[in-house]
Amino acid sequence: MIYIIKKILGKVFMYSVLIFTIVVSIFPILWIIMSSFKTNGEIMRGPFTLPSSINFNAYKYLFEKYDFLTYTLNSVLVSFLPTFLSLVFFTMGAYVIAKYEFPGKKLFFALFTMTLLVPVHSRTQPIFSLIVNLDLYNTKTGLMLVYLSSGLAMSMFILKNTFQSIPAELNESANIDGAGFCRTFFSINLPLAKTGIITAGVLMFLTNWNEFYYANLLISSSNNRTLPVITILFNSMFNYNYTNTFAALVVVVIPGIIFYALAQRQVQESMISSSIKG
Amino acid sequence: MINLIPIRSVSKNSMKSARIKTLIWIYIFLVPSIVIFLSFYLIPIITVVITSFTKWDGFNRPQFTGLSNFIKLFSSSIFYESLFNLLGWSVIAMTAHVGFGVLVAFVLYRKPFGWKFTRTVFMIPNVISIAAWAMIYKYFFRNDIGILNTFLRIFDSDIQINWFFEAPYAFWAITLTWLFYSVVVTLLVMGDLMAIPESVREGARIDGASAWQMAWYIDLPLCRNAIGVGIICSITARIAMYEVIYLTTNGSRQNNESSGNSRSLDNGRQLRIRKCCSCYNAYRGSFNTLGC
Repeated sequence: MIYIIKKILGKVFMYSVLIFTIVVSIFPILWIIMSSFKTNGEIMRGPFTLPSSINFNAYKYLFEKYDFLTYTLNSVLVSFLPTFLSLVFFTMGAYVIAKYEFPGKKLFFALFTMTLLVPVHSRTQPIFSLIVNLDLYNTKTGLMLVYLSSGLAMSMFILKNTFQSIPAELNESANIDGAGFCRTFFSINLPLAKTGIITAGVLMFLTNWNEFYYANLLISSSNNRTLPVITILFNSMFNYNYTNTFAALVVVVIPGIIFYALAQRQVQESMISSSIKG
Repeated sequence: MINLIPIRSVSKNSMKSARIKTLIWIYIFLVPSIVIFLSFYLIPIITVVITSFTKWDGFNRPQFTGLSNFIKLFSSSIFYESLFNLLGWSVIAMTAHVGFGVLVAFVLYRKPFGWKFTRTVFMIPNVISIAAWAMIYKYFFRNDIGILNTFLRIFDSDIQINWFFEAPYAFWAITLTWLFYSVVVTLLVMGDLMAIPESVREGARIDGASAWQMAWYIDLPLCRNAIGVGIICSITARIAMYEVIYLTTNGSRQNNESSGNSRSLDNGRQLRIRKCCSCYNAYRGSFNTLGC
């Protein structure tokens, strides 16, 4: 009898943890979505009420008044291009570190992964000076340069592990067959490392898309702006028009969620790999 | 066209030149990564370290002033407030945050109905922009339209707490923005859990262990690795937490919920670069004392 009670209690406990987790993760997002459909008065009256009608007024206002299309396109450009370039560079670097012995190999890898310990924000002033001196302030190129460097440690780590998991015999047999250095890399190792590359790429893409600090710092004009920055614009401007604020937040949050829904497994894998700090 | 397989001559010279050729290719492949590392990591870090010993307004040459920045930093009360906050948050991160992640991992491991959905949903807070998350929570904690106060007013209708702007509450408000979002810890622990061989559990079951005993005495110790990594990640994330503090409280100092990072950036924004650099270095020091 006691055993059954214990079992039931166990199940209740498990499901309450589950429900709590779901609520705590999704509730803020649902809240802002719902609130973006309510009028101001309804919001003031109570947060738990359902909106009386689903009107997209706030969204219409936002898209008319602000150039959201430009912001989104900027975000897309500023996330894709550096991710792609980083993948190219870091794949090459990780490949040689994983597969070959050469003087300085350990040093370089240690240096690359130690950058993980450095907080992103402490490098603000030198990076800001660098971008300004290169005359790239307020340009997307400057921001892209900064993003190029943001995934160094993590991607190196993930990619090195990926290449190490490709058996060395393949390289040896390629060597025997007379393949040169580049041939071995492009035809043999690269296709086999696809999953690792995608993992690292997804991680960097998400980081760049959601990045706020440097986007806010380095870009001041409206036509170069990226999406996350608009959240603080509405901080002061929409102080008493909550519907629009919530609508803006929804617009910033939704692309991330859509991307995640499409690439779920890769995102999960990249989350795991990103925490394993060797 | 005949595919000629080159005959490898065993002479030392040709092997050496092949080796040199490979080496050249290796370094060519490494160059872009090294350039990125140098310009965006090494040189900035060295710059920050060196300028923390100088007085510099950003335009003229820096003047060497020795340890005066550090002395100023260590004698400011805000520094100790920040450090205190950081320690408090680290303790909470180590215990409650990681603990919740481990708990969810253990629950999910038993695969109850809806576990995949929960795992998917649990990740959502980590894939959206941290700035948007901070703003959402800013409205969550507002005095007038915020959900928390509305809920609390069911119990005590006079509550008028402005969470992010009053002294002791701000600390806890910020804590709540990250406390339950430990999906990384959960994923890590679940990975470790799945690696536990079934034979260990079989043995325990034969010996008559209950589910609770199995979880406590067997699964938990075997996940030590993942839990350790989770703790390190959590604490590192607390130290680097800037956007949340800045966006929710505007980094306001009177409310002692700053942490080292936002403090140094607060000053940096006013172009008091020396303070910024010295903060960074002292903050690196505090990072090291946490044992990472």
